[in-house]
Amino acid sequence: MAKTIDTVVIGAGHNGLIAAASLARAGRRVVVLERAERPGGILRGSQPAPGFRAPGLIHTVGRLRSSVMKDLRLERFGYSTVAPAVRMHAPIPDGSATTFWADAARTAEELRPRSVRDAEAFVGFDQRMRAIASFLAYVQVAIPPDPRSPSLADAIMGLRLGKAFRDLGAKTGREAIRALPMAVADLVQEVFELESVRGPLCTRGVLYTAMGAWATGTAQVLLNDSAGTDGGAAGTAVFARGGTDALADALEAAATARGVQLRTQHDVVAIRTRGDRVQGVTLADGAEVDVPLVVSTADPKRTMRLLDPAEVGPTMHWRGENIRQPGATARVNFALGDLPAFHGGDPERLAGRIVIGPSIDDVERAMDAVKYGRVSEEPVLEATIPSLTDPSLAPEGKHVMSVVFQAAPLRLRGGDWADEREHVGEIAIKTLERYAPGFGELVEACEVVTPLDMEERYALTGGHLYHAELGLDQFFAWRPMLGEARYRFLFDGLYLAGSGAHPGGGITGGPGTNAVRKILKDL
Amino acid sequence: MAKRYDAVVIGGGHNGLVNAAYLARAGLKVLVLERRHLLGGATLTEEIVPGFRFSVFSYVVSLLRPEIIRELQLPKHGLEILPLDGTITPLDDDYLWRVNDHGATVRELRRWSLNDAEAYEEYGPLMAEMGRFIKPILSVPPPDPGRLSPGEWMPLTPLAKRFRNLPKRLQTTFIQLMTMSAADFLDQWFETEPLKATMSASGIIGTFQGPRSPGTAYVLLHHYMGEIDGAFRAWGIPRGGTGAIAYAIAGAALAEGVEIRTEAPVARIRTQGGRATGVVLDSGEEIDAGVVMSSLDSRWTFITLLDDSVLDPAFKAEVLRYKYRGSSGKVNLALDGLPELACKPGKGEWLRGAISFSPSIDYIEHAYDDAKYGQPSARPYIDMIIPTLVDPSMAPPGNHVMSCFIQYAPYHLADGEVWDDAKREAFGQNVIDTIEERFPDIRRHIVGHQFVTPKDIEDITGLSEGNIFQGELSLEQLFFNRPVPGWSRYRTPVRDLWMCGSATHPGGGIMGAPGRISALEYLKEKRKGRRAA
Repeated sequence: MAKTIDTVVIGAGHNGLIAAASLARAGRRVVVLERAERPGGILRGSQPAPGFRAPGLIHTVGRLRSSVMKDLRLERFGYSTVAPAVRMHAPIPDGSATTFWADAARTAEELRPRSVRDAEAFVGFDQRMRAIASFLAYVQVAIPPDPRSPSLADAIMGLRLGKAFRDLGAKTGREAIRALPMAVADLVQEVFELESVRGPLCTRGVLYTAMGAWATGTAQVLLNDSAGTDGGAAGTAVFARGGTDALADALEAAATARGVQLRTQHDVVAIRTRGDRVQGVTLADGAEVDVPLVVSTADPKRTMRLLDPAEVGPTMHWRGENIRQPGATARVNFALGDLPAFHGGDPERLAGRIVIGPSIDDVERAMDAVKYGRVSEEPVLEATIPSLTDPSLAPEGKHVMSVVFQAAPLRLRGGDWADEREHVGEIAIKTLERYAPGFGELVEACEVVTPLDMEERYALTGGHLYHAELGLDQFFAWRPMLGEARYRFLFDGLYLAGSGAHPGGGITGGPGTNAVRKILKDL
Repeated sequence: MAKRYDAVVIGGGHNGLVNAAYLARAGLKVLVLERRHLLGGATLTEEIVPGFRFSVFSYVVSLLRPEIIRELQLPKHGLEILPLDGTITPLDDDYLWRVNDHGATVRELRRWSLNDAEAYEEYGPLMAEMGRFIKPILSVPPPDPGRLSPGEWMPLTPLAKRFRNLPKRLQTTFIQLMTMSAADFLDQWFETEPLKATMSASGIIGTFQGPRSPGTAYVLLHHYMGEIDGAFRAWGIPRGGTGAIAYAIAGAALAEGVEIRTEAPVARIRTQGGRATGVVLDSGEEIDAGVVMSSLDSRWTFITLLDDSVLDPAFKAEVLRYKYRGSSGKVNLALDGLPELACKPGKGEWLRGAISFSPSIDYIEHAYDDAKYGQPSARPYIDMIIPTLVDPSMAPPGNHVMSCFIQYAPYHLADGEVWDDAKREAFGQNVIDTIEERFPDIRRHIVGHQFVTPKDIEDITGLSEGNIFQGELSLEQLFFNRPVPGWSRYRTPVRDLWMCGSATHPGGGIMGAPGRISALEYLKEKRKGRRAA
């Protein structure tokens, strides 16, 4: 490898590419080392059948920071998005459905015949979610405070955060502090009376997590999902034109245009240190790269395991191994012969996210399965049909459908993933059949990505899409661990810039961008 | 002509009585009004079966603040706390028995897991240290985050400084305790199921959460903060039942000149121009007061006792959405002899402490699952004590009282059903079936029983939805959000109406802290007012 390199980025996922490009722009000579054949990480999609292109592990891209798009000039590299008018369509067992539109007033009007109370409450609820989320957007761009700084309170106040918080006004401020640690079920139950409104909203609080709707802190998952976007109560539904692969391609192009060197099939097996400082990395073939700056976008546990345990020390090692990364999500991709006939779903309503989680209890029951180590027989599903907004993703007249399946815990009690793979596909079809009669007959191909695949193929320890669980115990100044939340990770010159760092997972670019800001400050 | 007092305290539970005693000590003329014929509220001992005295609701004590015991000289007024020794967790054909003798407990744990025995040596001191760190929070009024002015945060500055000075390991533990589930927290340390389950059980007592629900680790700590005579993590029972605490505090209050009236239910709080001026009793009698102190929960105080027109609708909405959701019941049994455990026959020492029905985390989590969907647990978690082994005066000679705390028994049942006599009976019999699995001879000994559902707790004590803490101890209802966001400092939007019960910071349990802090806050404000005048 070229001698001129001074920075190694581990992992060419979205955060890795974003960090690499930003560091290169600041004058660093960067190489990105990626273990897979192609860059893109969880953005890389698949072909469930010839001519069908399914998205990566996360199928919408509405949370990608606009500053990232601007800074990396992603549009110049061919990236564009499409946002349908519908956000979420939630069919329920009685044959009807609730549709959540980008326009909250339209949602409210459609609720009116079923519940005047919910109709009147919806717009206000949406505004409240937006207000709190706008404060969280400040939290997301902040570098978490140092618990050892002169005063924790000063540090928090010193950030723009203090001002942002005061600007909310006393009432919303109190509301934010009350709402963040709440269970999402409580958040929606105290406002709405229709289960068919509560359930779908609750699914947003448990998405990609291992928590149920009654778990403390799930309101924060929903609010973080709306922070910095115009998600509001219903969440976003923004698709990358050409699929999530197109975003991966644009990020790759932006990084290489900045002079970043990209080495795929380069598996880092060790991060070497001497004293308090990082020295470089070692590859699977034994090659060593010596650099003063290593930026890891691997998950925190994996990053720690690349280090010499003796250097990390037993206490820190114990803490690191206790980072919670309980993966409980599977993905299913379908190649469909035609558009499925969902309850109350003309094509316009199916263009966003189609959510199966008709009541709080249904969401809670589906997630109960995690606790007992089994796959939900009645899962929560979030499906998208990207070919509705971008017909090029499937052969003419046909559709590709991508489904997030919860819960499917990595750790099964009794049974293993070799046997359960097919079962997940069958449950998904059976469940969808209930809300879209005839669904099964449309299926031309079904591809299941198990949490074990996520662990093995995408190197996500625990199979968790967000690297570390997005619980309150792994939040802000203590994500992934207290004292290691300011991107510098355990050693001088080693930084964590993946989803396991603040502000957490999803296609946001937040951790990568924040980490680079901190790195450049430290240099 | 209405009588006039400087302060009228509504409710003769432990917090109301503590509050009254402190106000009277400062020279105020104080009247306590209690609805029932007995004092104590949920801190109540009553002879339900002739000859047998049941601590009907709360049954053990550890959180009672030592400064209150000291300042009100409660021992002089008859308070004597008898220590409870140890906890046994019966299993199918084995048991886990931990006692206050540290060496013995570690030896017992080694039988299960060498790792756990070793971890236990570290865990105890760590939690004790955490408890010492967090304890000062129990004695300060919370700030108002809605304002965030430096003045509001002043009481917290020493706390922030202490946090900063903690070793990082303790800082981490603190944050984990505030946010994690009891099960996840304990998983970091231990592998023995009955040990984890029994420890996690103290994280769920009185909450509507399971051991795997985030936020329950905090309640673990809440229980570790208990102390008797300065010894952490010690539980005890008052001689004469928990009601004896109420009567000791009442004794102290009377000695300070407090007047106490029982069977004097308050019908409403009288206001004039947005200011509380007194109370009206059910009998129609009017009593004038300089300040009305309510030890009831906020739903009772604001919705039941105040005229609707007095409250700002936004405030009222906050009160109405506060969560109660009682989750527990009690089964009190009168026994003509001591039953024996199947897994450890005999009548030895192990029956003198707590007997915990918590064989595994899954067991408790399944119990919670039932409750989540509106059913009493098919196999509930039971925290049982036999107080007569420590205090034989509670039953005729040779007879025993068995006090069983039952979780979960949800207040809100599935499909809108409500608790009635048939459901109470079914609930109680199911508990006895559960007990029978561990104590096969239990039914032979039962000579009387009392089944208490959350609805009964509500009906008897007035605790809304039977919540023993006057509002769930969930994160969003603690500290500055207790009892209503923005009104965490014992004051209310109605001038001269104050709150002093478990509904306020630092919350429930037989702690007495809300009663004391609210009295001191009021006295401080009164002095300030006088100076200003």
